Amino acid sequence: MASQSISVAPPKAFRGVGRSILLTVPMALWALLMFTPAFQKAGRDEHIGALVVIVFMTGLFFMMMRTGETYRWRRIFFVALGFLFPFGFIAALIAERGTMSIPISRMVSGDTPFCFMVTPSLILPAAFARTIIFPGSILPTASNPHSIAIMIGVWFAMTLVLGKAWCSYACFFGGIEEGFAALPKRRRLHRFVTKYGSTLRLIPWAILVFVVLVSAAIFEPVYCMWLCPFKAVTEFPAVRNVETAIQMGVFVALFVGLVVVLPYLTKKRTQCGFFCPFGAFQSLSNKINLFEIRFDRTKCVDCTLCQTSCPTVALSKDSIAEGKTLLNCMKCGACVDVCKKDAAVWHLKGTPVAVKPERARLLFLYGAWAMATMFGGSVLAGSVSTIIHWLPGM
Amino acid sequence: MRTRFLSILAYTGAGFTLLIAVCVPFVLIMGFSNVVAHAGLHIDATYSGGTIARTIQRSGYRIEVYQQVRPRMFERTEPFVQIVFEPADALPARVNDEIDLDGDGRADVRVSFTKPADANAKMHGDVTALNGGYVSLSNASGESFSRMVVRTGNKIVVRVPMK
Repeated sequence: MASQSISVAPPKAFRGVGRSILLTVPMALWALLMFTPAFQKAGRDEHIGALVVIVFMTGLFFMMMRTGETYRWRRIFFVALGFLFPFGFIAALIAERGTMSIPISRMVSGDTPFCFMVTPSLILPAAFARTIIFPGSILPTASNPHSIAIMIGVWFAMTLVLGKAWCSYACFFGGIEEGFAALPKRRRLHRFVTKYGSTLRLIPWAILVFVVLVSAAIFEPVYCMWLCPFKAVTEFPAVRNVETAIQMGVFVALFVGLVVVLPYLTKKRTQCGFFCPFGAFQSLSNKINLFEIRFDRTKCVDCTLCQTSCPTVALSKDSIAEGKTLLNCMKCGACVDVCKKDAAVWHLKGTPVAVKPERARLLFLYGAWAMATMFGGSVLAGSVSTIIHWLPGM
Repeated sequence: MRTRFLSILAYTGAGFTLLIAVCVPFVLIMGFSNVVAHAGLHIDATYSGGTIARTIQRSGYRIEVYQQVRPRMFERTEPFVQIVFEPADALPARVNDEIDLDGDGRADVRVSFTKPADANAKMHGDVTALNGGYVSLSNASGESFSRMVVRTGNKIVVRVPMK
């Protein structure tokens, strides 16, 4: 039982094509609205990229409506985002400066694109010294449109809608490990993860406290400078001395270990579940977000399939017994889709559990997929247009 | 009765969340960005170089001398002063300037470098300390945030470490 993958549950085909299309129409219109600017001003490659993404995102939403499943269709989008974002980002860097490394001259001129992962580290210095400890620019510039104000605005506005679901519908890094986790047929190290899960899921909180306090003490974005695995596939400080060489080694080691090898072995998102301090920080938003996953105890048979399927170990036996997920649940829908007894359900806080769960799912998905289309979709469109641009004969 | 009231509240909240979702790309992102932009925050001086203290005009170009940047208690950066030569395009092929950094009327450092022909070419320069308060740099490039001679856009940024 423990080694079963989450695709064992029978498909929950419960909607006709016509009704599914009707439910998909608002999302198709939203996608068209989001990419209208791309059609108005960009070139042919951008038009094709936008068109591909409109069809892709609308098609996946249709399948969510048609099958009643969430996880597998969301995963297709998320893995595509995870692999195509670095591709598009690196392509842009190579075209602009010929290397993935960021020289110190660009840091002092404020040309480092802002990444939301550093947000928790900024809070204390910003609050007490009115200082942002990041080598970017507060307002967008011609050479750095991804300014701190814009990116924090994007993150905060989307967090109001998604809560912790940011980690499964918006983060452009998590899809890489979700992709590697999807590769093997059977999970290894399952006993280890189950036995030490309660300890492992505390690690992101410990790292969060560490990076926030140390960043405030030394006025450096410690996570960015030392601990981010995704520096290995985006951009990193140019190696100019022993310290920056060690930093580069740490980035590569963390990426290989936490994003490639361990997800492959465990079929879990190990970086997200056992390391990411931003994910821990984002978990706090689950307290105010209205949507959650609950368990109907009258139907649950304690098979623990949901616990096994959870990519971030956001379920424990105790939490299932209480009919709840843990705070770090990112609402990916894996547990709901895998449950053979329909005991795991989408839920709107304040309403009775397991009463109209599909309504709660729809209300959540419209908001979440709208954000995914707007943010991840635009990233995907950019990467697709880059690929088209590079294709021979195009 | 209470259950019904809570359900009405919950669905109202869910509807409000959808409304927020619709507003995100049109209103909220720029709204929150403006809040951050106008919050009176500034980029840490280790990265930005701090604020300009004085401007020295030369023929065809100017030298901006920044205020001294002193590290906070646990900050790892050395204290430094940033000097910016701009516009880089107007600089002579070889720059050799004596600069008064603290405004006391006496030159504190001599900065010399060759203007790179290519804006993206790696630079090397020398800083000679003319008094004991500053550290000389030989063949400096982009070693660290407190020791550098680099080109950024149309500027040459020099950072001189202090003792």
